[in-house]
Amino acid sequence: MRLNVNGQTHEVDVQEDMPLLWVLRDELNYTGPKFGCGIAMCGACTVHIDGVATRSCTLQVGDVDGEVTTIEGLGTPDVQHIVQQAWVEHQVAQCGYCQPGQIMQASSLLDANPEPTDDDIDVAMSGNLCRCATYPRIRAAIHTAAAKMKEA
Amino acid sequence: MRRLIFAVLMATVPAVALSAEDIQTNPPASATEAEGLEAWSRIYEVTSHSRCSNCHTGPSDRPMWSGPSYGAEPRRHGMNIRAGESRIGAETLPCSTCHGAQNGEVPHSPPDNASGWMLAPVEAHWFGQSSRTICEQLRDPARNGGRTLNEVAQHLGHDLILRWAWAPGPGREPAPYSLQEHVDDLLIWGVAGAPCPQQ
Repeated sequence: MRLNVNGQTHEVDVQEDMPLLWVLRDELNYTGPKFGCGIAMCGACTVHIDGVATRSCTLQVGDVDGEVTTIEGLGTPDVQHIVQQAWVEHQVAQCGYCQPGQIMQASSLLDANPEPTDDDIDVAMSGNLCRCATYPRIRAAIHTAAAKMKEA
Repeated sequence: MRRLIFAVLMATVPAVALSAEDIQTNPPASATEAEGLEAWSRIYEVTSHSRCSNCHTGPSDRPMWSGPSYGAEPRRHGMNIRAGESRIGAETLPCSTCHGAQNGEVPHSPPDNASGWMLAPVEAHWFGQSSRTICEQLRDPARNGGRTLNEVAQHLGHDLILRWAWAPGPGREPAPYSLQEHVDDLLIWGVAGAPCPQQ
């Protein structure tokens, strides 16, 4: 089957019920999305499907209907997405394992709501868990990214 | 091998149940009030069951977690989930972020259905409500989507998210009876004049 990931079309020979996360990591070597819980409870596997944050660990690849974007396609070390810039500015990451999912969820939030309040952020980001408890820095970075997007 | 067969069955049964089930909506020629109340008591078993009521939370935009697989005390959906005025989380976190098109095979993975996940309309408030309260809501066109009871029965036969209650995936108790029996009870209740219990 064909899968569009980060602007590139891939032909993958997999069963339709394989989770998208497995296809991304094991077949296409996009290792940015992480395996955390495997049941959409932690958010580490978050990618975008047509720009909307989606948990890739429970989504069967045969049900993917749209373009997939992973953290690798959001920005690069040389050309970072505004959310990634804010993450660096606030030094959000501690161990870093959940951060690709956090950033994908945050960028999806800002697409839908360019000026989120603290409450808006808490509601939208509560499904993305961080065992290092970087939540205050995540919230601050999202506010910074929102302000920069407004200036841009 | 037995585990493999079980896994294959769990993977295929829900899809078959959803796609091949042909629901008949043929109301009986007549039904007494007593038969109507008897049918209603079974309908209430369904509407108050956690597979249905967890997402019929009325003015609250928080889905509930309750039932045999969630422990003794009902609690709000984890992760601070809010369905918002849209009832699909459009203003907050879309239900579709986690709830996809097909039930997962892994226990505690999010329940899914092909028509998308959402909370029921505010006026269809069932969670924790009495039999009489739900009965009066369901027979009131102003609060049941402007439907006759025959149309309510047809709605059940057509809407995939409602069919999910009888094919909820591994680890979840299905709603009681079958969808066809539930539709039949709605039709009996309607022909009997939609009687409601005292409490």
